Amino acid sequence: MAVTKLFGASVKRREDPRLITGRGNFTDHIKLPGTLFMALKRSPHAHARIVRIDASKARAMPGVVAVYTGQDLVDKLAPVPCAWLIPDSDLKVPSYRALAVDKVRYVGDAVAAVVAENRYVAEDALEAIDVEYEVLPAIVDQERATQDGAPQLYDDVPNNIAFHWKLHAGDFDSAWNQAEVKLSRRLINHRLIPTAMEPRGALAHYNPGTGDLTIWCTSQNPHVHRLLLSAVTGIPETRIRVIATDVGGGFGSKIPMYSGEMLASAISRDLGRPIKWFESRRENYVATIHGRDHIQYVDLAATRDGKVTGIRVKSYANLGAYLSTASPGVPTWLFGLMLSGAYAILAVHVDVFGVVTNTTPTDAYRGAGRPEATYLLERMMDLLARELGMDPAEIRRKNFIPKEQFPYTTATGLQYDSGNYEATLDRALELVNYQQLRREQEELRAQGRYLGIGFSTYVEVCGLAPSAAAGAMGFQGGLWESATVRVHPSGKVSVFTGSNPHGQGEETTFAQLVADELGVPIDDIEIVHGDTEMIPFGMGTYGSRSLAVGGTAVIMATRKVKEKATKIAAHLLEVAPEDVAFENGRFFVKGAPDRAKTFQEVAGAAYLAWSMPEGVTPGLEETHFHDPINNTFPFGCHICVVEVDADTGKVSFRKYVAVDDVGNVVNPMIVDGQVHGGIAQGLAQAVYEYAAYDENGQLLTATLMDYAVPKASMLPRFDVDRTVTPTPVNPMGAKGAGETGTIASTPAVANAIIDALSPFGIDHIDIPLTPERIWRAVQERRG
Amino acid sequence: MKISGSYTIRAPRQAVWDRLIDPQAIAGCLPGVEKLNQVGEDEYEMSMTVGIGPVRGTYEGKVRLANMNPPDEYQMHVEGSGRPGFVRGTGTVRLADGPDSTTQITYEGDVEVGGPVAGVAQRMLGGVAKRLVEQFFSCIEKQITGG
Amino acid sequence: MQITVKVNGVAHTHDVEPRMLLVHFLRDVLNLTGTHIGCDTSQCGACTVLMNGKAVKSCTVFAVQADGAEITTIEGLARDGQLHPVQEGFWEMHGLQCGYCTPGMIMTAVDLLQRIPNPTEEQIRHYLEGNLCRCTGYHNIVRAVQYAAEKMRA
Repeated sequence: MAVTKLFGASVKRREDPRLITGRGNFTDHIKLPGTLFMALKRSPHAHARIVRIDASKARAMPGVVAVYTGQDLVDKLAPVPCAWLIPDSDLKVPSYRALAVDKVRYVGDAVAAVVAENRYVAEDALEAIDVEYEVLPAIVDQERATQDGAPQLYDDVPNNIAFHWKLHAGDFDSAWNQAEVKLSRRLINHRLIPTAMEPRGALAHYNPGTGDLTIWCTSQNPHVHRLLLSAVTGIPETRIRVIATDVGGGFGSKIPMYSGEMLASAISRDLGRPIKWFESRRENYVATIHGRDHIQYVDLAATRDGKVTGIRVKSYANLGAYLSTASPGVPTWLFGLMLSGAYAILAVHVDVFGVVTNTTPTDAYRGAGRPEATYLLERMMDLLARELGMDPAEIRRKNFIPKEQFPYTTATGLQYDSGNYEATLDRALELVNYQQLRREQEELRAQGRYLGIGFSTYVEVCGLAPSAAAGAMGFQGGLWESATVRVHPSGKVSVFTGSNPHGQGEETTFAQLVADELGVPIDDIEIVHGDTEMIPFGMGTYGSRSLAVGGTAVIMATRKVKEKATKIAAHLLEVAPEDVAFENGRFFVKGAPDRAKTFQEVAGAAYLAWSMPEGVTPGLEETHFHDPINNTFPFGCHICVVEVDADTGKVSFRKYVAVDDVGNVVNPMIVDGQVHGGIAQGLAQAVYEYAAYDENGQLLTATLMDYAVPKASMLPRFDVDRTVTPTPVNPMGAKGAGETGTIASTPAVANAIIDALSPFGIDHIDIPLTPERIWRAVQERRG
Repeated sequence: MKISGSYTIRAPRQAVWDRLIDPQAIAGCLPGVEKLNQVGEDEYEMSMTVGIGPVRGTYEGKVRLANMNPPDEYQMHVEGSGRPGFVRGTGTVRLADGPDSTTQITYEGDVEVGGPVAGVAQRMLGGVAKRLVEQFFSCIEKQITGG
Repeated sequence: MQITVKVNGVAHTHDVEPRMLLVHFLRDVLNLTGTHIGCDTSQCGACTVLMNGKAVKSCTVFAVQADGAEITTIEGLARDGQLHPVQEGFWEMHGLQCGYCTPGMIMTAVDLLQRIPNPTEEQIRHYLEGNLCRCTGYHNIVRAVQYAAEKMRA
């Protein structure tokens, strides 16, 4: 064991000094001489035929270099790819052109690209492009879209159904027929806008002399973007370099391949000049993916004493106008597999209809599928408790998978790695002082004040992997991760990771892992990410996978380095490798600790290579591609306490307690931060955020004035605590913490508010629980 | 967004009809109209400056009158676009004799607002549309009665 | 139009278009890219700088309006290699994740502590209303400002 063990320490972040002094390397900061600016003309109509595009006035404007329409690029750019081709679902993937050719299908669909000497001129020129549209009827609601007579987006997607995916595990029908208690509900899980604070953008530079395309872009997964850019432009992967060093938040929205990056690349190749494109917030809101948007029908079967025996779900998932890169996988696999949650439910039937509508495409937004499953299940558990007059905490306890049963195989076929669900519930109950809180609730009700206590005892799947599972689900890629550990002659270490953190702090946590493994000071270690020219092929950062998968790759590569260094040390110490021990950065002879070589001395020797052991090559650098044996399954209990003003519908947060179990924790400060941010986003879905369309497909919440991203004054403090149940899936025993907060918090908050309103006989209101909705529901009950 | 309503003008039906299809009368009574030129039979081009909430802008567009059934009923199609977005609408206007040689006007229509202005406009428009229409008819009434 | 603006203690004279925003002047003309742009409606506050000592959103100020003014951007906050206490607070308390809102958030916090040296949590949350953060849930931003307040009082 190293004396300076950093695993478990709240090491201050190493990425911060540049970020707090204004020296980050965000995409829009990069400047190249001769750069032209691209702006995109986007459709103001949700559904229309393009009759004519007249760009002559724009082309004639001083400073405008070129204008492209869809027709100009048909042969130069393949359609925007969809890379999650779910099997056995009759999936249809309609053509998604970077610039629409015949029809536009959502407000924001791009129809023309202007390239000009600066961004002001480019924006002006957009106004001068005259597009004549024949407006067609639009459809926004995904359930209505499947009904007869609804406007059709595509000739070859009948009833707008892009796929019907089903997973029928266990015998739901007998569970339903024998059920003592049956609950049926229609639940809405509404549409959200990810809103990374940095919008998306790119600077693409094609060098006609070398044939190289270098593109700086806002990416969570640079290699995936390189691969897809190569596929759509025809430029070989070897000639494309994608750089995304500092990325201003992603939350899933910077995973997909989009038209902007594709157009910047293709046009740079066409003109031989660097092209910069950076979206405005309004563009970000209409043209970067949205998330969630399900209409769910749920049937829950249970016994009179509160045991859930089966769940059946039919969900209409709104995919938007086109299929974004991972969109088919989100409302299916990432949703359906998790529908039994933390409970031993033996029958799970899921039918999902993926529906195209005249709205912005949807894809993975923080949690991706799991929040939709968790909200549904946790809301139903509360409804069941209400139906049976049981305490919501006790009904959960009754249905938990007992800790003795792990690893536990769910009805849907997942193997939950490890768990102790009751421990998180008990700890959370203790932290809120539950019994006293219920008494207080009674007292306040007598005074006409409405306190509510809401639970969410969630489990989620993260550390997205393994590759074989990805393949079985139709994901067109592996879900492993890579790392190269390069020890320099001085003993300093560069770690090249395929993960691409954009706020998660892996420049710190990965360095902590390596420092522990090698016994070198953390300052001697640099973490390199986000540049395809430097790092091995990597899958990127999403699905709470960077530590569990990417971190493990780093550890494994480091151990290979250590193994080689041990051989070299043994050779230098003139003993057999088995006789060498390694501690605190020193190799020494077992039983004779004074006979030693430091790690730095061994690194130097590896590069001098004057005297190497038999069969050992010079240098000290190893690469490891890690494909885990399983996902990881963090879990926990969140309890939210609110007070609702029944006269105004205003919700005040009294307390928010989160007890999560994410396995072992490398850096508690960073994990706490992930949990805080996650809760904020999930809480916002419960009470604030809502992407609203009118019936014509106009996005009404298209700016930050209208879309309610929470401000500091709108959020409570969070009381965060943890239990620790390590996972056997990786050597750290760590699970992942990026999405737990978002997944857990929406139902905890919603359940709290509904609990507060129970004296009015209210047992459900669809989220977001805005003052207006609450007020209306109360008014209705009051008559 | 659907709008509908009715308005009573203190003037006989034929007189009201004549004004309602008279481009000069329309131009004079639609708030913010800067120009209105006839470009075809019952078709006009216009330029209009409207502020919806904080978003103020000039819209270039077309007005077309159709299914004319004098002096009972006509349809009006409006289409305009400008930097803040676009407005499209179709409406039917019906005229009927009211008591004491007045004219009862009923109207119903569907208005779509798109582009950057949509978010602001949709919420404001419901409230102001009715007022704007009433303002228009009241102006027409004044033109006829000289009041 | 010719303007002279003193930015982080250095006077800069440039010809700018009357419609150029201060944030573009800082980023594109002076290459001070620490000031970020996160929206187009003055909601997010990522572009906040100090103008004559007070926090302004530089996307809502024209460069010509800054003629003769003194501007402090995030790049000018640390002095002699010493972080400003607010910067230090953000680092110590993990007040940032992706770092995109951070420059604006820090500048607003500096302005807050100039006006209210000992703010309550409620005052901090209220004062930061014009700055959006999507990563932290503000929990640690509040702690960062509290850290700085304490440090500045000491």
